[in-house]
Amino acid sequence: MLEYLFLPLSLIFVLSFFDVQKSKKYLPIISSLVLVPTFMLLFTPDRHYWHDRLMIDDLNKFVLLVCAIVGIAVTLALESLRHHVKISPRHYRRFYRFFALFWIGMILSVTANSMGIFWVGLELATLSTVYMIKTNTTPFAHKEAWNYMIVGTIAISLILFGIILIYASAKPSLGEEAMLFTALKSHISRIHSAYLFEIGFAFVAVGSFIKMGFFPMNLWLANIERAAYYPVAALFSGLLESAIVTGLFRFSSLAKELNQSHLIGFTYIYALLTLFVVAFLIYRVKDFMRLFSLSGIEHMVLMLIFWVSGGYFAALLHFAAHAFLKPALFISTGVLESRGKYHIAGALKGYKGFKGRLFQILVALFMLAIISLPPSPMFFSELFGFSAMIDLAKGSHHLLLMLFGILTILILLSIIFYKFVDVYQTMRYEGEERSKRVYASEVGALVLLALATLALLGSFDFIEKIGG
Amino acid sequence: MIYTLIHIAVMVILAPLFLSLIKAIKMWLLFKKPLPLLQGYNDLAKLLRKEVIISQEASQITRIAPYLVLAPLLTALLFMPPVTKGEWYIGFVDAFTLTGLLALSTFFLMLIGLDSASAFGGIGSSREAFISALVEPGMILVIFALSLIAKNLGIAEAAIHLNTHFPTHHLASYTFAAIAFFILILAENGRIPIDNPETHLELTMVHEAMVLDLSGWYLALVEAASAIKYMIFATLFVSFFSPFGIGAPFLIALAIYLAKIAFLSLIIALIEVNTAKLRLFKVPNLLGIAIIFAFLSLISYYMLGA
Amino acid sequence: MTNLFIGLFLSTLITALLTTRLYRLFLWYGLNSIFLGLAALEQYKLLDDKALLISALLTLLLKGLLLPYLFKLFALKFHTERNIPPKIRLQYAILLIPAILVFTFYLINPILHLPGKNYISLSIASLFLSLVLIIEHKAIFAKVIGFLMMENALFLLGMTATEGMPMLIELGIFFDLLMAVVVINLLFEVEHA
Repeated sequence: MLEYLFLPLSLIFVLSFFDVQKSKKYLPIISSLVLVPTFMLLFTPDRHYWHDRLMIDDLNKFVLLVCAIVGIAVTLALESLRHHVKISPRHYRRFYRFFALFWIGMILSVTANSMGIFWVGLELATLSTVYMIKTNTTPFAHKEAWNYMIVGTIAISLILFGIILIYASAKPSLGEEAMLFTALKSHISRIHSAYLFEIGFAFVAVGSFIKMGFFPMNLWLANIERAAYYPVAALFSGLLESAIVTGLFRFSSLAKELNQSHLIGFTYIYALLTLFVVAFLIYRVKDFMRLFSLSGIEHMVLMLIFWVSGGYFAALLHFAAHAFLKPALFISTGVLESRGKYHIAGALKGYKGFKGRLFQILVALFMLAIISLPPSPMFFSELFGFSAMIDLAKGSHHLLLMLFGILTILILLSIIFYKFVDVYQTMRYEGEERSKRVYASEVGALVLLALATLALLGSFDFIEKIGG
Repeated sequence: MIYTLIHIAVMVILAPLFLSLIKAIKMWLLFKKPLPLLQGYNDLAKLLRKEVIISQEASQITRIAPYLVLAPLLTALLFMPPVTKGEWYIGFVDAFTLTGLLALSTFFLMLIGLDSASAFGGIGSSREAFISALVEPGMILVIFALSLIAKNLGIAEAAIHLNTHFPTHHLASYTFAAIAFFILILAENGRIPIDNPETHLELTMVHEAMVLDLSGWYLALVEAASAIKYMIFATLFVSFFSPFGIGAPFLIALAIYLAKIAFLSLIIALIEVNTAKLRLFKVPNLLGIAIIFAFLSLISYYMLGA
Repeated sequence: MTNLFIGLFLSTLITALLTTRLYRLFLWYGLNSIFLGLAALEQYKLLDDKALLISALLTLLLKGLLLPYLFKLFALKFHTERNIPPKIRLQYAILLIPAILVFTFYLINPILHLPGKNYISLSIASLFLSLVLIIEHKAIFAKVIGFLMMENALFLLGMTATEGMPMLIELGIFFDLLMAVVVINLLFEVEHA
């Protein structure tokens, strides 16, 4: 069943070599074919493929479903890309081609059971992103493509370095099996050298952190998303980050069984530093793209600490909600910024007709949902996540320190909350009214993502089952 | 005893030969007619025939210092590792003594440069001080790393130990030490990437600038000192980094030893032909590499045993 | 013998860190890969692992000879600036490099009983040193060389610490390399079009 996942994507890849103007209408339909195998996988029991190298379990069923929905929404939104930015047909085709490759790499790394495959998938996704950024031909985008190439490959090399160290730590007792997540998980107590494993995990974590824009590397992600066309940013926040976060979830649950206090100290310190920097960066931000991508980093931090603190349900819910809301916001920046990059004031005014009204309402809802106002899934995930963190603090030997850390996180989050509310009010009530055009495809994408977010609210039981 | 005396005599007598050899190889590689190998001796003989002229500004130091440039080097010759097993040697001398003696010689050379109060002498001395300050730490680190590898602090003893127990398990730190020491040879003897011994171009010269005001017998002393200094470094290099042939009978061992020095001279000549002189302010880069390698050699021995 | 080659591997990396010329950098990269390949051959004799032999030969031919040559061609083709002064000044580099080495040796202190311990620390050290190489240069080519040196450090780790890693990862590394070359070529093409 897994094989069929790759079929629609390969089809897109092949079609991209031909004239897109004709086949463009069918592309969203082709990509929505991905849903069929994804849903069928959802109801098949856990299975292993290709000598245990790939597998389907509850976690990646869920991640695959989320990714499929985001991917379809982005394909839909790509339809109207040429109305918002200048793009030649050649580059348009190239975008589709590398989009398909990117998606394939993503699926590989999400479904990987072998750490090697996980890495190869990430590599594929990274390299194809370089080309996707390059479809924008401005010098700024060119420079950022180079930047991405360098930073991305450094991150990936660090991840591979860590993987080899982990493999080396487990090989004396597990043999060739030491490459598999499942084998590592079931024989974690037999690992030959726990110290080597921890160094390896630190490398993997730092590599993933670089890729997600954590502490010392906060700005490069925002710059790249600023430089590229907006669907790239949507793909970044929806797909690439999910692949990395899934991998990090797997690695950290291994590290947790080996030495929980080290893991918690490491991630909490890293998370606090990142949040500290990111909160003030967000406070100073002047355009939508940077605002959203920096808040993406913030949510990534939250997911990670929820997961590490034992709030699996909260982490997964937060992950899914973020994966739906953030691409939706990125897709809508195409319209919001139609009067120039830095016009936040009045960006949410001047929409006429049914499509325009719908767009306006949806964007307003998304903006309020991303800062976790009550009916949003993020509200519940943060509630559960913070309660998991407090539970962890109660059981630990450093109660006051942990509570202080949690309090600091809450204060930093409130800065971000304030900035978002401020931006929303500026968008809604300031600036003059100018008419803007909205296209059916992007409204369709937003509606799809909104429905998916609503569906999340109804599937708490399902998500809870995964965490256990 | 007799072997030791012969060894020292050979080192003193043949010292100018190897500098001429380097020069000859270079000229041959540049398609010039190579100078005879005895040119070094001819030069010394010519200097001895010449009259001694001393600057009016110069003090007593100019008369004394040339002897004091040569004397520490001659002393250092006594502490060199033996060429054969039967030879006597002084075993207790360590890195600090040797570098101290070399530094003493350099110190008096710099005094000569300053004493005549000519502008060039001052330039030369300050540059020499600049370079030696960077050479010393590398030198001490290298010899200590070698002493660790050879498990002996004495220079001569270390060389003999390296012959009997070649450090196959410590090849990494051994190689690092060799690289560092080779760069130091180039730097201390004023060979090409650091200083050009054949030019009197005021922008670049270091060694020549200091001896610009000397003549006759005094110049001969200083030139002989620089030849002997090369000999000391070359002897140290070959006995540490190719410690073979010590077991042979004395004459064969001596021949092997001279052949190794000739080979080292050949390599230096090749490098001199193929590289351009560094700008003075780039010299620290090269010497920095030497220091890093010396350090690397030391810690890779200590921490890794590699 | 492996010790010697790995020592030379590290020494070429350090020399590359201090060099200021582009073509010289390519040369050091080539030598770096050649010593790595030789070390892999030694390791192959020790372990008798066919996969390692293939990787060693590929390293020697592809990274040691072909890549430096290709890079020189690219650099000639695009008239790249050949003077690449490092941003970290020498006096700091002299302190930084030994500090990194001491730090990595300190890092493996708890696992001194393991067989491949010095290789692990050396490869972590070379990983950090190549990161320094990437950081200290502005020129793209130098950054790419730093990245490739990092790849070499990975290969060194995989070869020595795990006593022959799965073929999959080795192939992954080479695939990565090829992609890097293609990407570089394409990015430059576009820049100069």
